[in-house]
Amino acid sequence: MTELDPHTWLAEHGDYLFRVARRQLHSDELAEDAVQETLLAALSARARYTGDASPRTWLTGILKHKIVDLIRRQVREAELPRDQDGDEAVDLLFKQDGHWAEPLRPWGNPHAEAELSQLRRVLEECADRLKPVMAQVFSLREVAGLETEEICKELDITPTNCWVLLHRARLFMRQCLELNGFARAGAA
Amino acid sequence: MKWMPTCRETTALASRAMDERLPFTERMGMRLHLAICENCARLNRQLQEMRRLFRAEAAAEEDGTPGLDPDARQRIASTLQKELGA
Repeated sequence: MTELDPHTWLAEHGDYLFRVARRQLHSDELAEDAVQETLLAALSARARYTGDASPRTWLTGILKHKIVDLIRRQVREAELPRDQDGDEAVDLLFKQDGHWAEPLRPWGNPHAEAELSQLRRVLEECADRLKPVMAQVFSLREVAGLETEEICKELDITPTNCWVLLHRARLFMRQCLELNGFARAGAA
Repeated sequence: MKWMPTCRETTALASRAMDERLPFTERMGMRLHLAICENCARLNRQLQEMRRLFRAEAAAEEDGTPGLDPDARQRIASTLQKELGA
């Protein structure tokens, strides 16, 4: 069985845990909280570590719960959308009758054209500019790959709220990627 | 909903269809609209492409981004130390 040595956790896994948390929470401050709460929880649960998983995998499992807890707290504090209407960013895209205000430009092939590091930076920047609750629901769905049913249950929001948040987040992200150079003549 | 959704409604349906199977009427309305509306069909392709990019990016190594900064590391270390010493 692998021995757990709490004294090495921060040095060996701190950066890794922070990056995982940062990617989900889009905030350095919240990510730091998540790492600290994870290590504290691990400390009091270390008697239950069976050695089946590596220490990093075990810590990451605890971290995932902490991330969801933090997101849930934020969602409770935020005002959730009630319906499709009333979102200015989406309003601007459409005319009153529900038609597109402007035709959409085609995208090139970002995967081939963009350096991966450049792409990563743009995705991250755009996600950071989403409203916090939207960014988090978006991350849980598109980055962590949770089903919307799980997201609703974990965050205690209605499916309608979930769809509205995801719809707005996706349109915003699309717009943001386009403004950052992903619109080129070509495919898609 | 009328027999065919508007562009705005169609984008909401296309987004929702990425998360769950739409009820029959909504699904048919969306398909009909996508078949005749170039802008909405394009948007739908771009949403799928975006998901592909995000998943690919999430699967990549967790490297490029900065880790814990020294101050944060210090704060966590002293909190842990307190717990360990207790």
